[in-house]
Amino acid sequence: MWDYNARIQNMSHLPTERLAALVDEVPTSSELAHITGCDECARARAVFRALAEMAVTESTRIGSPLTRWETLAPVLVSDGVIDTGRGSPFRRHTVRRPWVQAAAALFLLAGGVAAGRYTAGASTFGSGKPTTIANTDSLRTFHSIDDARTVQAQSQLLYQTATAYLAQNDTGSLATDSPSAMRARLAALDRAREVMGKALNEAPYDPVINGYYLTTIGQREATIRQLNTVLPASMRSISY
Amino acid sequence: MTNLLNMETESIVIRRAIDGDERALRSLWARHAPHIDMVVRRLVGGDPDVAADIAQEVWIQIFRALPSYRGDSQFSTWAHRIAVNRTLNALRKTRRLANLETEVKEDSASVEPDNDRSFVAQSIEEAASKLSPGARAVFMLHDVEGYTHEEIATELGITTGGSKSQLFKARAKLRKLLAHLVDVKDVGLQRKDTEHVAPAY
Repeated sequence: MWDYNARIQNMSHLPTERLAALVDEVPTSSELAHITGCDECARARAVFRALAEMAVTESTRIGSPLTRWETLAPVLVSDGVIDTGRGSPFRRHTVRRPWVQAAAALFLLAGGVAAGRYTAGASTFGSGKPTTIANTDSLRTFHSIDDARTVQAQSQLLYQTATAYLAQNDTGSLATDSPSAMRARLAALDRAREVMGKALNEAPYDPVINGYYLTTIGQREATIRQLNTVLPASMRSISY
Repeated sequence: MTNLLNMETESIVIRRAIDGDERALRSLWARHAPHIDMVVRRLVGGDPDVAADIAQEVWIQIFRALPSYRGDSQFSTWAHRIAVNRTLNALRKTRRLANLETEVKEDSASVEPDNDRSFVAQSIEEAASKLSPGARAVFMLHDVEGYTHEEIATELGITTGGSKSQLFKARAKLRKLLAHLVDVKDVGLQRKDTEHVAPAY
């Protein structure tokens, strides 16, 4: 039977790889005894420890980058990681969609025009004449994502316009002629805005929630303007 | 406080990067490339062109995986792990690590013959380029990156014993290559004055 301890005590030196192992392993008593009596093994052990310290220092060393942004960027663009405004599979569920921004911009523009006309005392949607709406092709097929998104944005704008028209003209379902009714509506819209604002924080890129939020804001603004037309100047709200 | 602020700032940058903001992505790259690219360079060894190609793959992988980053660990730790995994995968593809298991089994107990007597390395990185791919990977992962033998065994598909064997062999060779930097000359002198007492290291 091989007696390792006896061999260690009698041998001239510990094997180099065993000395290398003793950087993070504990020597046996016979190994320790040998190292204590052997300058060369003690020195070798110290060298291996110094090497290990160099390695730890190496982990914090930094060098010049191997990569260049000018080389990385085109690949990231083609992968859809960098947003170039054309949509991206990379951010399918999480990113801001251009068509939402487009729809929001169109809606705000339409809302602003409508509110302005309303405040000025004009009919927002014509003087008793039927409102002409764009002829939409309900069975339309799409040839690209951009095509579908454009139609989706147009449809959303159409929906918002119809909603605003009903809010103004369908007096049977909503009494807007008294200041108290307008205040009640404004209070309800404030609560809705708060709820939709929270929902928007949780799902900032959800198109439906964005639509509701923008509708609420637009209606609130229109109601404030409407209220201001019937209140004395000293009681008008200046906050939207 | 500063660390918290940095982490908060970085988490904002990461959110913007996930949204595809190029400036945010570039900011992450600029901040972490010196470290991440160094990890790749160390694992790959001497060929700078191969290292550059792999580093490019690593960064693309990091940015592709960004939406899956949950913030459980620091971004640098998360990216570092991707860098190691991706680099090892790339080395396997180029067959630089393909024979590691065979390499481990065929190793004798002795230090391999030193064919680089004229070579004087000025750094661990330079010296490690003279190691076999397997020994270099194990040494870099264990002694430089701080991986355990169990983690290395999993990463490289070898046994923990194989990992240890490669490490000790790598250290033995590096000791020769870096002797002029790490040699300790006064251990014996100190010990002679204190006989039978283990030298203080």
